[in-house]
Amino acid sequence: MELFANLALGMSVVLTPTNLLLLLTGAMIGMIVGIIPGFGPSAGLAILLPITYGMDPVGAVMMLAAIYYAAMYGGTITSILLNTPGESATVASTFDGYPLAKQGRAGPALVMQAVASFVGGTIGVILITLLAPLFSQVARSFGPPEYFLFALMGLLLLVFMISEHRMLGAISALIGFALGTVGVDLETGMQRFTFGSAELIGGIDFIPIAIGLFGLGEVFYSFYVGIHRSQSGSIVQYQNERRFWPEARDFVDSRVAMIRGSFLGFIIGVLPGAGATIASLMSYTVEKSASKEPEKFGKGAMAGLVGPEAANNAASAGAMVPLLTLGIPGSAATAVLLAAFLLWGLRPGPLLMTQNPEFAWGLIASMYLGNVALLVLNIFAIPLFVQIVRLPYRLLAPAIVLICTIGTYSVHASMIETWLMLAAGVVGFFMKLLGFSPAATVLALVLGPLAEEALRQSLTISRGSFVIFIDRPVSLSIILATMAILLLTPLLRRFRAAD
Amino acid sequence: MRAAFTILILCLSAFYTYAAFVDLTFLSSTGRLGPGFFPRVIGVGLILACLVDLAMQLSRRSEPLPRSEYVGTVVFVGVATVIFVLAMGFIGGHAAMVAFMFVTLMVLNRDRWLQNLAIALLLPLAIYLMFDVWLNAAIPRGSLLEAWFA
Repeated sequence: MELFANLALGMSVVLTPTNLLLLLTGAMIGMIVGIIPGFGPSAGLAILLPITYGMDPVGAVMMLAAIYYAAMYGGTITSILLNTPGESATVASTFDGYPLAKQGRAGPALVMQAVASFVGGTIGVILITLLAPLFSQVARSFGPPEYFLFALMGLLLLVFMISEHRMLGAISALIGFALGTVGVDLETGMQRFTFGSAELIGGIDFIPIAIGLFGLGEVFYSFYVGIHRSQSGSIVQYQNERRFWPEARDFVDSRVAMIRGSFLGFIIGVLPGAGATIASLMSYTVEKSASKEPEKFGKGAMAGLVGPEAANNAASAGAMVPLLTLGIPGSAATAVLLAAFLLWGLRPGPLLMTQNPEFAWGLIASMYLGNVALLVLNIFAIPLFVQIVRLPYRLLAPAIVLICTIGTYSVHASMIETWLMLAAGVVGFFMKLLGFSPAATVLALVLGPLAEEALRQSLTISRGSFVIFIDRPVSLSIILATMAILLLTPLLRRFRAAD
Repeated sequence: MRAAFTILILCLSAFYTYAAFVDLTFLSSTGRLGPGFFPRVIGVGLILACLVDLAMQLSRRSEPLPRSEYVGTVVFVGVATVIFVLAMGFIGGHAAMVAFMFVTLMVLNRDRWLQNLAIALLLPLAIYLMFDVWLNAAIPRGSLLEAWFA
């Protein structure tokens, strides 16, 4: 009963004209972010974070969250029509989505991906609604050792599962940790690595680094690989097809895949570091193994499209669970969301749901409505998004540079931060080019101060003994769970290899 | 190239670690872990990771970097962005935005000067309306403009 009362409270927060407008705007922007190849939700969120400064905190976070999960919807449109995933998590959708489009079934594929995304996203939000209060309850018993281990777990899993080169992923994460130590040490008040600069006393701000690494670095890299010269002429002309809507057999054939993908995706999403890409690739493999006609996969099997689609949307919802209940982001995109929360003085964690119920339940309620809005947008605004797919990157890129620069400056009216963003952009380009992981750097920059504080508190409690991390049952369980997942990593990396 | 980048990170890590050991104390005055504890761990970790990576690069043939015929374009956009940021402080954000957009578009989207001019004027206008008017956020006015108003 309390659950429904909380949801009703959330709905009352969302159902205002301003918040609904912000939600729709976020959904629309997220779709566009998803469509632009090489431009993921992390970049979109980092670049658009500054424009939310003047807004009401609840509305702003709803809009940013909508950008985050809408990117999963948008990325599939290019996967189906262009055989180019707009987002790394929609790679698996090219395997059967594009063959379906080539067979003259682009319309049914687009509608079915929208339905699968909606089902995955909605099941994900239902699971958040049911599980987040329970997780919060459990997390209240966590102390500094558990928080330190959770932060470490997220980074380790990100480095081991996502990074193509583990050592480069580790170096990237350590760079983020090192950047996080700049500024005043909060425990002793001592300045660290400021070298007498007043600008560095407050530490290195997350926003210019994230905008530089994800936004500007991505633009430079896209030019390097020649995206501005690629033609959108090979786009499948779905308007000439005989039938736009799917047939009943499409729903019947793929209904189990949709449900299975949703639950699988949510579980993978909750794991820090794993994310939507692994969830969708894993779902594809599971569907292929479970199918009575595995030979059809890769040639236009509807289950091969809807399973991964449901999985990546459910995973993006699942990733909100550790963020909301522990205050620990499991991916670069949720790290940017955490930065947004902190910006407005909202500290996600076990107490968020009791201390800020309007915010927490407003956000969850907005995700239900956001998924409905995205379903409608995905089906009825396809012609609009196809026009955006056709927009040449050579026109888009200078606009992104402009928004990155003005957006960074507008945060604190600081030219130094603008230069920092520019430097991060150059570093981000080289990191991406050479196989380093900008996502690990950004996540470590956010988690670094939190991990350091928790580690020092833990060792103070234990009088310098590291036994505290294995003495406590919860800490020990986290260590064992991390080790188990790391041992399973070779298996998970096999799914990644399909990318 | 990757080796050069790793060596650069190694040098910066060595400097960071040196500062962590020399300038920051391991324990605080109260006997708790001090401000130097975490940076020392990170610094040593970074140096070790860089050394291992370099050793791995030496021991096996590294994959060649993807070749690109658009290095010039990357350099052009990078230099244009640096000039844009410099110009923001001098002629102000509004004029710098128009100039940056027009110049970059004239290079990237050749022979369509009318389209380029329209985008170069309309996009900065939209950004001005969004940041300056709607969100009341700062856009640099530039020293030239400030001198004018003074």
